[in-house]
Amino acid sequence: MKFTRSAKFALATAASAALAFTLLTPAQAATRSTVILHETNPITGLNCGLSATNSTTCSAVSYLQGAGFNYYNNKKELVKNTVFGSYKIVKNTATDFRTQWTVNPGRVWSDGTPITGEDLLLSHILSSDAYSKAAGLGDPTDKKTPPAFNGLGYSGVYANNIVGDPVLSADKMTVTLQFKKKIANWDLYGPGPSPVHTLVLMAEGKKALGTVAENEAARDRFVKAFRDKDTALLKKMGDIWSKDYTITTVNKDTNPLLLVGNGGFLIDNAVAKTSVTLKKNPKYNSGPALSGSVDTVVFKFIGDGTAAAQALANGELDVYAGQATADGVAKLKAIKNVNVVGKDEVAYEHWDLHYDTVPDEAPYTGLFSVKDGARSKALRQAFLLGIPRNEIMEKLIAPINGVTEPIRSTWLAPGSAAYDKLIAANGSAFYSRGTQESRNKSALALVQKFYPDVLKNPLKVRVLVPGNNPRRAAEFALAKANLAKIGFDLVGDVRTDWPSKLGNSDYDVYFFAWVASSVTQRQSAEVFDTDGGNNITGYSNKAVDAIIDTLDSPLPEPQLIAKYIQIERLTNADAVTIGVFIHPGVVAVNKDLKNVKPGPLSPTIVWNYWEWSY
Amino acid sequence: MTAFILRRLGVLGVILFGSSFILYNIAAISGDPTADLRLSTDPNRDFLIASLTRELQLDVPPPLRYFLWLKGVLGIFVGNPNFGMGRDGSAVVDSLALALPVTLRLVAAATLLAAILGIMIGIVTALRQYSRFDYSMTFIAFLLFSLPVFWVAVLLKEYLAISFNNFLREPQIPMRWIIGIGLISGLFWASVIGGSRKTFWTAFAVAFAASSSLVAIFGATGWLLNPSLGPIVVLLLSIGIAFGVTQLSVGLINKAALRASLTMAGLSVVAYYPVNWVFDNYPGSLSIFLMACVLITTAVFIGLAFSKIDRAPIVRTTIITAILSASLVIVDKYMQTWKPYMQTDAINYRPVPTVGQRNDLLDSSDFWISSLDVITHLFLPTLALTLIGFAGYIRFARGTLLEVLNQDYIRTARAKGLSERTVIMRHAFRNTMIPMATILVADFAGVVGGAFITESVFAWSGMGTLALQGIRSQDLNLLMGVFFITATMAVLANFVADLLYSALDPRIRVGSGA
Repeated sequence: MKFTRSAKFALATAASAALAFTLLTPAQAATRSTVILHETNPITGLNCGLSATNSTTCSAVSYLQGAGFNYYNNKKELVKNTVFGSYKIVKNTATDFRTQWTVNPGRVWSDGTPITGEDLLLSHILSSDAYSKAAGLGDPTDKKTPPAFNGLGYSGVYANNIVGDPVLSADKMTVTLQFKKKIANWDLYGPGPSPVHTLVLMAEGKKALGTVAENEAARDRFVKAFRDKDTALLKKMGDIWSKDYTITTVNKDTNPLLLVGNGGFLIDNAVAKTSVTLKKNPKYNSGPALSGSVDTVVFKFIGDGTAAAQALANGELDVYAGQATADGVAKLKAIKNVNVVGKDEVAYEHWDLHYDTVPDEAPYTGLFSVKDGARSKALRQAFLLGIPRNEIMEKLIAPINGVTEPIRSTWLAPGSAAYDKLIAANGSAFYSRGTQESRNKSALALVQKFYPDVLKNPLKVRVLVPGNNPRRAAEFALAKANLAKIGFDLVGDVRTDWPSKLGNSDYDVYFFAWVASSVTQRQSAEVFDTDGGNNITGYSNKAVDAIIDTLDSPLPEPQLIAKYIQIERLTNADAVTIGVFIHPGVVAVNKDLKNVKPGPLSPTIVWNYWEWSY
Repeated sequence: MTAFILRRLGVLGVILFGSSFILYNIAAISGDPTADLRLSTDPNRDFLIASLTRELQLDVPPPLRYFLWLKGVLGIFVGNPNFGMGRDGSAVVDSLALALPVTLRLVAAATLLAAILGIMIGIVTALRQYSRFDYSMTFIAFLLFSLPVFWVAVLLKEYLAISFNNFLREPQIPMRWIIGIGLISGLFWASVIGGSRKTFWTAFAVAFAASSSLVAIFGATGWLLNPSLGPIVVLLLSIGIAFGVTQLSVGLINKAALRASLTMAGLSVVAYYPVNWVFDNYPGSLSIFLMACVLITTAVFIGLAFSKIDRAPIVRTTIITAILSASLVIVDKYMQTWKPYMQTDAINYRPVPTVGQRNDLLDSSDFWISSLDVITHLFLPTLALTLIGFAGYIRFARGTLLEVLNQDYIRTARAKGLSERTVIMRHAFRNTMIPMATILVADFAGVVGGAFITESVFAWSGMGTLALQGIRSQDLNLLMGVFFITATMAVLANFVADLLYSALDPRIRVGSGA
């Protein structure tokens, strides 16, 4: 067989056309429906209420799996989830304060079981020390034996104020809580729904989802045990709750009862220390409707920031969230197809001066001790004036997020009308007016009043410097340089175990950050209250204590701000502490993914996952 | 001998006890597990601190707490060891069981590759001592040796992953790349082959032409998007392998060996289609293993059939040829999988990943696609570790071979008229391997400890990550678990190295003179 010339030509053309076609067909990107989120730390379990599992990553994952009565948005506002249910105060007196929580009818768990008020009762077992003791589940504060539900919810505001047990309404959809006094931020101390029937089934050794009828019967057994304080069943449930959820691998062999939820997404599989994959929950109706174009959410755990940034550039991540450094932000901005979104963390950096002896510590007799009266007060004021806050902002913070203004309150974060009102009157102007040079001048004058030759014989100040932290090392160096100009010689003690040294009388000055996990009326009260848990300066001012005592009951905002102003005026005049900056965070998002609005409070990035879309 | 072994085991026990006691206490006083909680403003902060204290037994001073830990570990003698629970709520043993295979996969491959490449290049540099090739390899070895792995990793990711994946969208290879790759390969081969100026330039020209035209063909045909070797290329390469292996092992002069190897190479190609049929219809490691058994059996028989005298070396040559040419068929299969792999939703035309052990979104039901996924994820970390690791082997192999070449017995071998190949491969190379074997063993002990930095840069959760986690979160049980494994391996490896040395080198005897 012989080919003619034209046949050969035709064959060659066809072949090259076919080749060209395969080459030219562009590598088509499939329509994306997966969001891959970056987390620094892996989850260590599915139940975040344990000390072994409690982490921001765990809260984010469980936020997708479960919806409750409210959530924090990106402006630190607590938003009601009216799709799920409603809550209100039903009795409001000084000795009898009752809140009522109602689940909307028709809400279902992912296994089809309707959600009722009975599902809210487990919260009580997890938060009330008294119930745990009464039901024979163990004393949560015991030094040797942990309670059956070995959680982190005990001994808080709820446990200290709750009266009796929650009361279930006749239609079983509403739960009423009774407190012994008015509770500020009472909406934070409400119950959350838990699929208790799965706990009962697991306590009975089941390994597969039950039918709706079986589930409701199981839930009835729980409610009975709850009322009768049936130690046997509750203890078994507690064991499951405390131990069985610490899994990090989820595959087809995992007990499906562990994965029941009412959130928009449910865990489909998880690879230990590597990733968690969640798929859309088809029965989801407990929160705002999903936008629809995202059906898979993956949490990928990458500890190294550079590695995560490169993974983002390589399309292996859609959302990057990490510790912010100036270099890191510049690198992220250089990646194509990525939006860099600034983000505030909940931690605020501040400098504290030792004021008086802290309980259980050796007596404090240092430079700033309040016992020295006017002299130490002048020194404290001079010291706070001499901290180069603007320089710290410009050199360490502005390169990351552009913020150049130091914070002027330790009670509210900048960015709201309330904050502006607060700083206008809280006495912070004393430390903020003029330039650093003019502040140095007035500070020097204050010091020289008591130590005329201070520039020749500088005063030694012992500072606890947090170790392993380049930014704080730089911060300390800047402060040391400027404070030398007004006669303070900062002697830093760099320690990695610094948190346990807070309050130690060997130091005159501490600088670090407090981390708040919620927004409450009491805010920084624990720092300034004489008996406050976070009072590491030994600060005590009867007037301040008196105002703090009034913060426990709910107050309207203007009144609350007025109280904050009174407190900060006093603390600023006493010169014990000064805020510098809100810790900056950084989030970078694939440009195609819309509506990612990271917030400072847990669940940070995922709070509005239903709005995400491609 | 028994006394020696017993004595070493006793020393091992003492070392483990002492070092674990010291490490436990140092780790315990180096940080405060409650540090995070102390910075919290939660209302029930004190309860949280108290419950953590209860959980970690922080009220027991570290030197005493160590014995609580030791009590659990000593259960190993009654078959009930208890390494305790990690702070993440999972048993330390489980964490170790998850991490150990990951680390082995990552570091073992890299160590082996580094050793093989390093020894090969080291030997060539020794044979071409003080040549341009020797100097440039010495330069490269020192350069790589001094590079920090995290930096190499960042560069590799930038160019071989991110840029390469972008490039794959439109894989047109520009002219400067074609010429550049040709030049580098020309220089490399010309320096390796060495010889007179004329040979140098001939080698250069051939290598340059071959590589740049290969690269150009790859670019023009879109080979990178849909690569494969095909039976013809496999045949050609197999023939090349047959010649090469025969030359190195017994010399081309041994016609029986050459014929056996060529037959084996030919057989591999004859089996190309049937083997691919098995690959498609019975995928999995079991079928690969069975076929490998068949292959090796066949190779033995063919080797025996062709040889009359001196059978062992010929059979050995045939087996090596068979394995190498059969791996070409497997490589070809992976190349065929490349395109479907890139087309999956999870990969979406970005095949080279920068992090992780595998793509968790990939449907793992297809054996070839999921194992190719493991390979792509291994690619960059292995490359990084190999680049940095093999420099040491180059220097070591070069130095050892040069020393061996100066020995009297080499001169004797030459003097009695043995061919240069026999002198190098049989007399020199084998003796070079004795010290190499012992450092390999020691390196493997290090392998188990994990590669802290590499693991964290590539987000692999192996032993290094566990150790870091133990240190960062003050998780003493976890840290001690990792330590226990690594320390035991290190001490054992030294022990094995001693025994191995005495087994390989008849001049050395253990246990004497004690």
